[in-house]
Amino acid sequence: MRGLLATMRNSLAEAGANRLALGSQMAVMAINDIVWAVFWVLFFDRVGTIRGWDADRILLLLAVITSAGGITLGLLANARRVGSMAVEGELDAVLSLPVAPLAYLLLRRVEPTNLGDIAFGLTLFVLAGSPTVGRAAIFVAVVAAAATLMTGFLVLTGSLAFFVGRSEGGELGFHAILLLGSYPVDVFAGVARVMLYTVVPAAFVSSVPARLIDSFDIGQAAVLAAVSVAFAFAGWATFTVGLRRYTSGAVWTRA
Amino acid sequence: MAIEVRGLTKVFETGRRRARRRVEAVRDISFTVDPGERIAYIGPNGAGKSTSIKILTGILHPSRGEATVLGVVPWLDRRRLAMRIGTLFGQRSQLWFELTPRQSYRMLAAIYGLDRQHERARVSELADLLEAHDLFDVPVRSLSLGQRMRCELAACMLHEPEVLFLDEPTIGLDLLAKQRFRELLVRLNTERRTTIFLTSHDVADIEHVARRAIVINHGSVIHDAEVATMRGALLATKIVEVRLGEPIEAMVMDGVHVLEQSPTILKLVVDTGTTSIRVVLDALLDGASVVDISVVDPPLEQVIAEIYGLPRR
Amino acid sequence: MRRRWPTVIARTSVERVLAERGGLLVALGFYIVVVAVLAGLWRVAAAANGGSIAGYTAVALTWYIATSEASTVALNIRLIDDIGNDIGSGAVAVELLRPAPVLGVRVAAELGHALPRLAACGVAGAAVATISGGAPPRPAALLLAAPSLVLAVACNIVAQHAFAASAFWLRNAGSAWFLYQKLVFVLGGMLIPLEALPDWLGSVAAVLPFRSMSYAPARLASGHIEPLLLLEQVGWLAVLLLAASVAFSAGERRLQVVGG
Repeated sequence: MRGLLATMRNSLAEAGANRLALGSQMAVMAINDIVWAVFWVLFFDRVGTIRGWDADRILLLLAVITSAGGITLGLLANARRVGSMAVEGELDAVLSLPVAPLAYLLLRRVEPTNLGDIAFGLTLFVLAGSPTVGRAAIFVAVVAAAATLMTGFLVLTGSLAFFVGRSEGGELGFHAILLLGSYPVDVFAGVARVMLYTVVPAAFVSSVPARLIDSFDIGQAAVLAAVSVAFAFAGWATFTVGLRRYTSGAVWTRA
Repeated sequence: MAIEVRGLTKVFETGRRRARRRVEAVRDISFTVDPGERIAYIGPNGAGKSTSIKILTGILHPSRGEATVLGVVPWLDRRRLAMRIGTLFGQRSQLWFELTPRQSYRMLAAIYGLDRQHERARVSELADLLEAHDLFDVPVRSLSLGQRMRCELAACMLHEPEVLFLDEPTIGLDLLAKQRFRELLVRLNTERRTTIFLTSHDVADIEHVARRAIVINHGSVIHDAEVATMRGALLATKIVEVRLGEPIEAMVMDGVHVLEQSPTILKLVVDTGTTSIRVVLDALLDGASVVDISVVDPPLEQVIAEIYGLPRR
Repeated sequence: MRRRWPTVIARTSVERVLAERGGLLVALGFYIVVVAVLAGLWRVAAAANGGSIAGYTAVALTWYIATSEASTVALNIRLIDDIGNDIGSGAVAVELLRPAPVLGVRVAAELGHALPRLAACGVAGAAVATISGGAPPRPAALLLAAPSLVLAVACNIVAQHAFAASAFWLRNAGSAWFLYQKLVFVLGGMLIPLEALPDWLGSVAAVLPFRSMSYAPARLASGHIEPLLLLEQVGWLAVLLLAASVAFSAGERRLQVVGG
C-alpha cells in the first residue's frame, strides 16, 4: 500500500515536471470541453426538452463524463494503454517489482492533458449543476462509480490483447465508450440502446449518473454500483489471466 | 543453491492463421548456480538469453520444465521472489525519466518495505560504493548513459538482493564506462556475496566479470565451464604470427593452416593436437628468414565462436 | 514543367492514401458511427418539435450531418500540428530551396490526400443517410453538393495553412489548431445547422469563412438548391489563399532574416 501511494506521488510529480506545459495542456482540454457545453446549450435552446433531457440535465451528464473520464484517462492514464503495453512488451518493468501489477500499472502514469477534464467537470457541476450538499454527495459517488466502470472497461478491452495479439480492441473500446457516453442514452433505440446498457456500458458512464443526481433512486443506484463493480472485476480477472500469456516482446507476435 | 534449472522449455507461437509457427526460444536447459557465483550467460542474438532470464525473474511462464531461484518458483511466487532479487535490463529503465534518481529510490524503498532510516542509510552507502554522490539529485534525463547505468545499479541493489540478474547491462556504454561497470559488479559480488547472473554477447563481459560461463545457442546450453578452463580445454590451437625478411614459398605441414600470407607476413593456425609448436617453430626458423615471431592463444571471441559451432550437450 | 507540379504531386498523394487503406478504414468507421449518432440525435429532436427544426426535416437533418461531418473527417486531423512542426523544425526552410512555391505544393499534396477519403466518406455517408434517415430530399441538389464538398475541403486546408503560419513566429501552432477546430465546429455549421443558431450568433457566422468549410455542402445536400453557395465558396477560397500566401511570404522573409 505504501508502495502504491509512493508510486502515485511520483506519477503526479512527473506530470508536474513541466509546469508551463501542464497549464497549457489542461487549458486546451478545458476549451475543448467548453465547446461541447456550448453545443449542448445551443442545441437545447433550439430544441427544448426531448425524452426527459434538457439543457440542465445534459450539463450534468457532461460534468459527470468529463470528471470520470478525467480520472480514468488523467490519473489512471495507463488504463487505455493496457493493450499496447501487453503487445509491445512494456510490462517487464512492472513485473520486476514486488507489487500487484495492475494497481501499479494504473498508478504509474498521469496524463496532464486529461487533468483539465477533471477541472472542467467539477467547475461545470458547481456552476450549472445546482449544487446542494445532497446533490454534491451524489455527484461524487456517481463519478467514482463511473470512473471505476470506465477503468474496468478499458482494462477489460485492453487485456484482450493478451489473447488476440493485437491492441486495436482496446483502442476501439476506448473510443466507443467515450463517444457514445457523450450523448444521452435515450437518443438511441432498439439494439443500440440495449448494447449501451450492457456490452459497451456507456449509459452507466454518463446518462444514469446524471439522472441519479436529478432524481435519486436507490434501485438505479444499486444497479450502477453493481455494474461498476462487475466491470472492474472483469477487467482485473482478464488482465490477471492474460498475464500468464504475456510474451514480453521476446517474440514479434504480429505478422 | 541460488538458482536451479531443470529441463526448462519455452515455446512461442507466432504468425497468424496459416503462417502460424512455433518457436522454441528455450529448449530443455538445465544448470545450477551456487550462492556467491558470478555467471555469464552468453550467446548470440536470438539465442534465448533474454527469454531465460525473464522466466527466472517470473516475467514469463515456461512451457515445460522446472526452475527455482532461492528456493522459490519464479512464475508462481513472483512477488515474494522480487523482494529478494534485483533485476537490471540494459534496455529498460527502472528510473523515472523526469525525476531524480533519489525520487525513484524513495518510491522503490516504499515498494520494498524499507523504512526511511534504512532507506537513507542504503542510498548513502550505494552513493559511496558507486561513486555517484553528485548524480542522485539530477533528473535522469540529464544523465549520460554511463551515469544512468550506475544509478540503475543502485536502484536494483537498494533492497540488498541476494541474486542480481542483469540483461545486457553494458549495451551502449563506452569502453571506460563498461570497465567501470564491470568493476562495480565484481565488487558487489566480493563484498556482499551477491550472486551475479549476467547475460551478454560482449565477450569482454565474460573475461572481466564472470568466473563461469554458460553458453547458449538456438535455445540450448552448449557449454558450461569455468572461464579459465575454456580456452585450454576447448581449443588446442595456437596462433603463430611471423614477420618475414624475404618472401617464402607456400608452407605445407600437417596440422598447420595458413590464415594469411603476404611477402612480409605469415599467419598460421596450429592444431597442437596434431603438430607440436616446437616442430612448427623449428621448420619456420630453418626454412624462412624470420624477423619477428609470436605465439599467442586464440582470442576469446574465437573460442566462443567455436563453441557456438558445437552440437547440443 | 512549371505548371505540371500540382497534378503530379496530387496524384502521388492519392496513390499514397490508397496504400494506407487501414487508416482509411478506421476513419470511415469513426465517420459512420458519428453520423449515425449525431444524425439520430437531430432526428429525435425534430420528432419532438413537430417534425422539423429551423426548416429542416428529419431526413434533411440526416443528410446535413452526413455531409458536414464528411467535410472534416476527410482531412488530416493533425494538419496544423504537422505544418507547425515542419516550420518549427526547419523542414520548411529546406522546402524553400525547391523551385515550386511552398504553399502551393503543400496544399496540392494535402488535397490529393484528402480527396480519396472524401470520396469514400461521400459514398459511405450517402449509404448511412439513406438507411437511417431516408432518400435524399432533392437528389438534384447532390450534384451541387459534390463539388461543394471539394471546395469546402480546399477552403479548410488553405485556412489551416494560414493559421499554422503563426508557427513562423510562435514556437507552437498547437493552440492555433484547437481554436480553429472549435470555430469550425460551431461557426462552420458542422454540429448544428447555422439556421438553428440564435440570431446574433447566426449573423456572426454568416460573415466568416468557416461556413464555406462545412455548412455550404451540407446545406446543399440536405435538399436546398442554392448555387450561390458555390460562388461564395470560391470567393472565400480566393481570400483564404491570399491570406495564407501573405502569411507564408512574411514567414519566409522572416526565416531569411532570422535564420531557420
